Amino acid sequence: MLIKRTDRQARSGLLAALTSQSNGGLDRRSFLRRSGLTVGGLATLGALPLASVRQAKAGPPPAEGAGVTIRKSICTHCSVGCTVTAEVSNGVWIGQEPSWDSPINRGSHCAKGAAVRELVMGERRLKYPMKLVNGEWTRVKWDEAINEIGDKLMAIREKSGSDSVYWLGSAKMTNEGSYLFRKFGAYWGTNNTDHQARICHSTTVTGVANTWGYGAMTNSYTDIRNSKTQIIMGGNPAEAHPVSLQHLIEGAEMQKANVIVIDPRLTRTAAHATEYVRLRPGTDIPVLYGMMWHIIKNGWEDKEFIRQRVYGFEDARKEMEKWNPQEVERVSGVPGAQLERVAKMFATEKPSTLIWCMGQTQHTVGTANVRASCMLLLLTGNVGAPGTGANIFRGHDNVQGATDVGLDVVTLPFYYGLAEGAWKHWSRVWETDYEWLKSRFDAKQVMETPGIPLTRWFDAVLLPKDQVAQKDNVKAMFVQGHASNSITRIPESMNGLQKLELLVVADPHPTTWASLAVQAGRKDSVYLLPVATQFECKGSRVASNRALQWGEQIVKPIFESKDDLEVIYLFAKKFGFEDKMFKNIKVENNLPIAEDVLREMNRGSWSTGYCGQSPERLKLHMANQKDFDMRTQRASTGPCKGDYYGLPWPCWGSPEVKHPGTPLLYNTNLHVMDGGGCFRARFGVEREEKRPDGSTVKISLLADGSYSKDSEIKDGYPEFTLAVLKKLGWDTDLTEAELAVINKVNPATPDAVSWSLDLSGGIQRVALKHGCVPYGNAKARMNAFGLPDPIPVHREPIYTPRVDLISKYPTLADAKQFRMPNIGFTVQKVAVDKGIAKEFPLILSSGRLVEYEGGGEETRSNKWLAEIQQDMFIEINSADAAERGVKDGAWVWVTGPENNSKAKMKALVTERVGKGVAWMPFHFGGWFEGDDLRSRYPQGTDPYVLGESANTITSYGYDPATGMQEPKVTLCQIRAA
Amino acid sequence: MARMKFLCDADRCIECNACVTACKNEHEVPWGINRRRVVTLNDGKPGERSVSMACMHCTDAPCAAVCPVNCFYTTADAVVLHSKDLCIGCGYCFYACPFGAPQYPKIGNFGSRGKMDKCTFCAGGPETDNSREEYEKYGANRLAEGKLPLCAEMCSTKSLLAGDGDVIAQIYKERVARRGYGSGAWGWQTAYRESIAT
Amino acid sequence: MTKIFVEMRLVAGALAIAFVMAMAIPAVAQQPSSVNPNAAAVKEQQLLQQFKMIQGLGTIPDVKSYVLEHPAGREWREYRMVTLKWIAGIAILGILALLTLYYVTHGAMPIKAGRSGRKIQRFNAFERFVHWLTGVTFVILGLTGLNITFGRSLILPWMGPSTFSEWTEWGKFVHNYISFAFTIGVVLMFFLWVGRNLPTKADVEWFKTGGGMFGGEEPPAHKFNGGEKLIFWLSMFGGAGIAVTGFVLLFPFYGTNITSMELAQVAHSTIAVLYIAAMFVHFYMGTIGVEGAFEAMNDGTVDVNWAKERHLLWYEEEMREGAAQGAVQQPAE
Repeated sequence: MLIKRTDRQARSGLLAALTSQSNGGLDRRSFLRRSGLTVGGLATLGALPLASVRQAKAGPPPAEGAGVTIRKSICTHCSVGCTVTAEVSNGVWIGQEPSWDSPINRGSHCAKGAAVRELVMGERRLKYPMKLVNGEWTRVKWDEAINEIGDKLMAIREKSGSDSVYWLGSAKMTNEGSYLFRKFGAYWGTNNTDHQARICHSTTVTGVANTWGYGAMTNSYTDIRNSKTQIIMGGNPAEAHPVSLQHLIEGAEMQKANVIVIDPRLTRTAAHATEYVRLRPGTDIPVLYGMMWHIIKNGWEDKEFIRQRVYGFEDARKEMEKWNPQEVERVSGVPGAQLERVAKMFATEKPSTLIWCMGQTQHTVGTANVRASCMLLLLTGNVGAPGTGANIFRGHDNVQGATDVGLDVVTLPFYYGLAEGAWKHWSRVWETDYEWLKSRFDAKQVMETPGIPLTRWFDAVLLPKDQVAQKDNVKAMFVQGHASNSITRIPESMNGLQKLELLVVADPHPTTWASLAVQAGRKDSVYLLPVATQFECKGSRVASNRALQWGEQIVKPIFESKDDLEVIYLFAKKFGFEDKMFKNIKVENNLPIAEDVLREMNRGSWSTGYCGQSPERLKLHMANQKDFDMRTQRASTGPCKGDYYGLPWPCWGSPEVKHPGTPLLYNTNLHVMDGGGCFRARFGVEREEKRPDGSTVKISLLADGSYSKDSEIKDGYPEFTLAVLKKLGWDTDLTEAELAVINKVNPATPDAVSWSLDLSGGIQRVALKHGCVPYGNAKARMNAFGLPDPIPVHREPIYTPRVDLISKYPTLADAKQFRMPNIGFTVQKVAVDKGIAKEFPLILSSGRLVEYEGGGEETRSNKWLAEIQQDMFIEINSADAAERGVKDGAWVWVTGPENNSKAKMKALVTERVGKGVAWMPFHFGGWFEGDDLRSRYPQGTDPYVLGESANTITSYGYDPATGMQEPKVTLCQIRAA
Repeated sequence: MARMKFLCDADRCIECNACVTACKNEHEVPWGINRRRVVTLNDGKPGERSVSMACMHCTDAPCAAVCPVNCFYTTADAVVLHSKDLCIGCGYCFYACPFGAPQYPKIGNFGSRGKMDKCTFCAGGPETDNSREEYEKYGANRLAEGKLPLCAEMCSTKSLLAGDGDVIAQIYKERVARRGYGSGAWGWQTAYRESIAT
Repeated sequence: MTKIFVEMRLVAGALAIAFVMAMAIPAVAQQPSSVNPNAAAVKEQQLLQQFKMIQGLGTIPDVKSYVLEHPAGREWREYRMVTLKWIAGIAILGILALLTLYYVTHGAMPIKAGRSGRKIQRFNAFERFVHWLTGVTFVILGLTGLNITFGRSLILPWMGPSTFSEWTEWGKFVHNYISFAFTIGVVLMFFLWVGRNLPTKADVEWFKTGGGMFGGEEPPAHKFNGGEKLIFWLSMFGGAGIAVTGFVLLFPFYGTNITSMELAQVAHSTIAVLYIAAMFVHFYMGTIGVEGAFEAMNDGTVDVNWAKERHLLWYEEEMREGAAQGAVQQPAE
């Protein structure tokens, strides 16, 4: 029988139609994607026998007869500090169990914490050192790598000076690791040492410390359970600190609290709020002042608190009064009635707390933002009591610790600064000659000058030499545990990558440093050194609530990876100063003993109160977690009785003093030996002010009639020095030994030795004995004289759609900061002149997803996490999408205002962002301007999921006080691809 | 004997996906199989709620009823399990399941499914408790060790509850009474033919 | 009088001010001054009542996982385990009962004139191939399909679970692969015989007299009589129906969602059992029901007398086309 040709076609058409989607058709790629088999490097499921869940290999359940050991460490993915309980059998990590005993997380985790075991299965990890040779990744041996790198660095140092090598450390390192890394930088001879806090809470630390003494979370995650009003402004803890929501939500349930979220997006946190306030990105100061306007208008401020403990209210009042409801709404979009209601709740339904994260910090006005937040807290008397406070949610698991140990361009460990006095203090602690340390620097002047913030690393490479205030440009980057795609202006950074003489990446993963370096055209002088994750190392880490937790080594470093401490030691050895650097730290098989490092930290950290947390006390806490009560964080029984969990700093005095730690800062309701405190006397005892008639008056900066419980001095007092003790007649309480040490610290003028320089700890002990706080008792400053904006002032972001507001609220003038020019004002002006806001009408913001962390190379290499979020995307409002013909899930090109930047990703059409605002997660990397960079990674180390980086589009903008970048607000345009 | 149930308190669920990865971790579930998932309703709008969903271990399980080869069985704790040795990968249990719990690995040749895989309430399968064979096929057996499902144990906000149905119903009831609101015990009417009076 | 003017001016002024103030509201879209996300939380019962299915958003690529709850799965279970079995039982057993009854009471339809000894070709090799391709695959598909529905209650008890599982798993593979052959057979059959199966006046007559099966003369028919045409069209629609639904089931969730998959399964199984029931009639007619019918498909030839009695009009057509008496016809096409 004949079959006509047309029939045959019809039939194949029919068949095709039956096997395809009705619209668009199903090509092999989407079919495979649905099957989840397109992911590079993943073994196909087809190889499995039908019944199996997974391939047989070393893993659970434990082998017959093999024992199972339990080891505890801390999750490395955020600052909540969840305990990770690991089951180990035959040296293999076979399972995770909930850590019920932890008074912080009570067994809970988020997606990342519940998946950490995968990190040491290490399928995509860097297994051995690699070197880029003629554009190809080649395996090398450790010794070879260290020798070559060391020789190159010495040559660069010879030619361009010690400051031309940038040592970029990590917030993921333990305290011991980050402390040694900073110390290493000092011995190398540079202050160009930094870590993630720069791009995270650097503005918080500076702003808050300049308000009342320390720049850390004042209360704790668990203390929020006591709040009657929670404002979360500039944070999305549901995705960034999920386990904290256990305390926020349960606390709110029990207190019937007001939960107010102020955010440009209706985030997953906002979904659980009782009030949601939408504001334009970058207008936090108007909104905060707007609240303060209502508060002072209605007399809701805490007048007694202000009188006793706050300086500069009258100066601040002038600024508050400018922000009436109309102006607030004009600038930020927040309706007056809503803000009044929020202000009333915050001021009258107390105790109230203010929680923030990147939404406030990552702006050119980041320091001013957090200061305005502090002012709101001071105005309403919401500091220093349970349920109140600035609850600053830090980022990495040990960013608080790394900040405290001074892995920072502006200071030596523990916030001593860089002045000669600070260097002399540390040379005493390190028992290394001060003159020798000085000789390591190009000049004394640069030894005492803050270094270059990591946000400007490529500017320091690319700008003309005379614009960088050090001997020469930065020529080499040594990156140990920091992403490259979390830094703004990636297209510029590619030029920097190309120009470097040497790039070293020491990390469990190659990171986008490697893939972008190859993409930028590098052919050589790039080294990848495999470093172990923190689960393969032991050490202490500090959670956001300032509590220290000691993590055990769960398994030994896998493949050829090395502990951070070992890497630092080997390079110290290469440069010949290991004897000096590790004088008081035992080293076994090239691995410094972490406990010894902590003991050295205890000996030098009087300023911050890290002196009492010895390794022994910390380990005892971890072993007896169950004795600590979750609500009070205090052990009522057992070997740790009386301690607060993790001995939150300041933990005054030497370990023998057995101070219990300070869970709540500045709390005058408790005795200092019970964790009480007051605002720090950091800014002098009094200040001269000019009256309107021209005369001057001296205003006391000390507290007025407010003091910690049972303090023998019932008023404000300056910080304690030997001179102050003598004045009080308390110097007789010092022991012979303590006095001897004090005299040794400063033989010329021992009276000047303060509570922070006294290596014996005697001055602290005596102050504590008399119920006083060693750092003094002063007022908090609403007027932070000395900062670029002493009273916070609203300034429009560099790239803003509201060009009409720029003349009234311009950014600060161009200036030189941190050895570099900051030309933000010029950039803002040029943007207006060029009409950037018309060409790029959408505000672009960025933020986090729960599945990933930071630059994302590690979490996107974790198959259990990568599966849940496989595509980079941009959130676009449905009205904006409709205007551009963009459909949900479709590919779009996003373009930015600088460098002709462009990025290709999927569109997520949603109401979550308001009209005119778009939002991207910043965790993706491995694509650049539409090109897939998978082949740029060494074989087998590319993360499962790749995507465009948000920071390809982000732009210029730096906070003048800290060099913080501005990824939270820029401009963009979106069009269908 | 305790009657095991799951309860996801949607007013606490923040879509953190800990339950998802905890399950992956404990049972080494391969890529492409999602025993537990989180679904968000009203995404991005006021009223958004997320619910974590896996097998509910229904009373009178529809999957067990429709299976052509009768490969399901219910334990004394009312946990619904199945035998992968008997399963033929026909996919009918997925059609019957009101919650989309059954998962199938794709083994090529058009839509053909491999052996069904689903949440086991961390109770393993027909093989000997905690043996290697049981692990390879079904994952860990926590119930045999006296533990509860890891997804609920690791939930970041204590939203997902798992265990004796009466106990978790009581917990949920008390929670709703204390805080004054509750969007319901999602899935209970469909799975257990009961709701929790609040 | 003046007082009224004053009042009017006051009122006008107030209105003017209000007007100006209204105009002064910024052009920026007004935001609501109260948003309480917690209070607006969606509730399960409300969503179920509204949509019968609760669907949201997830982040994994498996789109069907975004369906949180679809209680309709219970209805599907009810249909498959109860309703379908009733339909199948009644249809299949009913038809078998009716056929048995008919055979017992009426017996086979004989060749009234007896065999002539001469043969005429009715179906050529290709036609027989297409018929048997479709028929054999139909039987295999039918058996393996019925096994899915009834195997658990009828066969599993005596085969034992492991053996039955293996048996059914093989059955599944066979069903899946053979389905292509069956579909090809149906399509070929359609193009082969559709011309011959278009309804004509002769069919009306045929049906009026019940095809001579209940007494009376069988009216003259073309190549296919009314009953056979009915069988043809039932096979075509039935075949198309189960082929289309079958392929939907074979490629699950390729453009379909859970509801359409359930619907496909319901349609597939219902059409199948009805189709099987209908085919029993055809089996009967083609084997014991009509004398001399089977050889038409066996070797392609039929007795001339059979042809004259059953399909006179066709026989006359064939004769007109110059078929030699007594000789087996060569295929003309």
